[in-house]
Amino acid sequence: MQNSYVELNGRERAQALLDRDTFRELVGPFDRLYSPHLEPQGIVPQSDDGVIVARGMLQGERVLIISIEGAFQGGGIGEVGGAKISGVLELALEANIQGERIVPILVFDTGGVRLQEANYGLLSISEISAQVIALREHVPVIGVIPGRIGAFGGMSIVAELTSTLIATRMARLGLNGPEVIEQEAGVMEFDSRDKELIWNTIGARQRQVTGLIDELVEDDAAALTAAIYQAMKRPAQPPKTLQTDFYLSLLSQFDPAEKWTPDRYNQFYKKVNPVEYFASLAKEGASDQADSRGYRWFASLTGIAHPVSDTPSVLAADIVKDGQIYRYISVVPDAASRYPRAKVGEVGLLEGWTVAKLVRDAIRLDQDTTNKRPIIAIVDVPSQAYGYSEELIGISLALAASTDAYAAARMQGHPVVALIVGNAISGAFLAHGLQANRLVALDDPGVHIQAMSKASAARITRRSIAELEEATSKVPAMAYDIASYSQLGSLFRLLQDIHADAPRVQDLRAAEFAIAEAIASIADASRDLISSRLQSEAARNGGRAATLRVREALRRQW
Amino acid sequence: MEQLHFQYAVSRPITQSAHIGVVGSGDLEILVVPGEGGMAQVQVLTGSEGFGQTWDHVLTRFFTRYPIVAQMTIHDYGATPGVVMLRLTQALEVLGYAE
Repeated sequence: MQNSYVELNGRERAQALLDRDTFRELVGPFDRLYSPHLEPQGIVPQSDDGVIVARGMLQGERVLIISIEGAFQGGGIGEVGGAKISGVLELALEANIQGERIVPILVFDTGGVRLQEANYGLLSISEISAQVIALREHVPVIGVIPGRIGAFGGMSIVAELTSTLIATRMARLGLNGPEVIEQEAGVMEFDSRDKELIWNTIGARQRQVTGLIDELVEDDAAALTAAIYQAMKRPAQPPKTLQTDFYLSLLSQFDPAEKWTPDRYNQFYKKVNPVEYFASLAKEGASDQADSRGYRWFASLTGIAHPVSDTPSVLAADIVKDGQIYRYISVVPDAASRYPRAKVGEVGLLEGWTVAKLVRDAIRLDQDTTNKRPIIAIVDVPSQAYGYSEELIGISLALAASTDAYAAARMQGHPVVALIVGNAISGAFLAHGLQANRLVALDDPGVHIQAMSKASAARITRRSIAELEEATSKVPAMAYDIASYSQLGSLFRLLQDIHADAPRVQDLRAAEFAIAEAIASIADASRDLISSRLQSEAARNGGRAATLRVREALRRQW
Repeated sequence: MEQLHFQYAVSRPITQSAHIGVVGSGDLEILVVPGEGGMAQVQVLTGSEGFGQTWDHVLTRFFTRYPIVAQMTIHDYGATPGVVMLRLTQALEVLGYAE
């Protein structure tokens, strides 16, 4: 393998795609913008924080290359690296809007959120997603997964959002890595030592057969460059995230109780008979279908007694308040779900695609009016669904679909507000909540925002729970409580003295008042995701200090 | 994690900077920029504690042979002395240093 691309490090991967002598790195090692969060945890930082950003020419065309170094902390996205990616994508967006065509190319080699900077990683990935979605309207955004680590976690969602996703056979793509699934759901669910099974399930070849990766290329820099160049020149294809009817049909025809080898799934995938789905709203039922905060807050805010829905785990309603129509969406437990890994309120395949359907439906209903209905995401989601079927079918794409739908609504001018009443964990929060213009949360011990459950995060980062808790006291982004989270500056309001488990009338009024204030504060919907998060007092007072430094440096060097 | 500092008397000025390596398992990154006066200054941040003397041996050998007036920053994640020496000489190549 004389010209292996996979064997190159992150910086070499960026250089190898560019025409000779055109590589110009932005915020490189000598700017020494280290992660400030690693040394306090006893972890040696890297001078580029594992993200290489460079401008240059690819076969004579202006491109921006973002390459993630998988050898440093598993390519995990922390505050600095995340800010580099989202900040430079924002600059590329501005350039493209002003008529200077520059094609962004993301070279993935990442496990997703860097657990040592948990909530910074989650915020960053939502901001990166927002930029990719916005950019895609102007230029193709090219994703490349060369392989070694692959693309996992929240970054697998970003990968599915790209216009064209290219990989070598050495690449893997999945939301939850096999080790994490085994840990969360048991070895019978997914044996992380069965390498053949893993490659046959989440390897690039399998992903291409089922449309999750667009193109397979030899492990060779010239071949990759040629494939990227062709993808840059191709007319825009509809994003993969718009296949809502196809996937809702697939999910209703798929029986998770049966045994599915990848081969059997591939046969089934080819024979799926897509039917048209209609967004269905919640109706009044005879008795409560679920016992969760997300369920109770949905019922109370919409006034629908014992709400039921065709897809029981996703409730939605259009409610008129003071002459304005609002769409509320909540993901709730469904103990009878056919998908066993999504019974307690997790965002799984069905939930991702159904939320996408409901949000796209709101966009369609208001396409001819300037008065776009606000969309209120009620957030109480314990995690994404960890399961074999989920990975085989592609939960990354399901969560990308709802992420994309919320972002599309925001960019069309729908005010989007997330009301966090319970858990807001990891991929589930990315898919349902983090694309909102504004985040409103209850100040309550039952409200947790994080990238992974405490027990899992301790195991994955090889620490005891006590050591993990010690680390969280030094790095607020690692903590689970809402008070720590509010220090990051991304909350628009933190509501005090609320009965979170059983909201009283005054609690509902307080939440509605905060939602109305949030909507009133939204000036320019498309950009307001990031600006409100970075301009808050807490963000400027240190909550996003490193992010702001990175963004300034990028703008200077652009 | 341990922070170490070393300095060596040197004589050959350099004009360029160099960056080499990745803070991956068993590896390290090195940043080299031109220094001042007759001393090379080296800051080492390492994940492996208690190897100060080994670092001194490797760096002494390097600066004796290549007495560059440099400020060096090293981020180490358990590299062996052999790997350290390899990366140091790669940095020299980037600097265009000729003996």
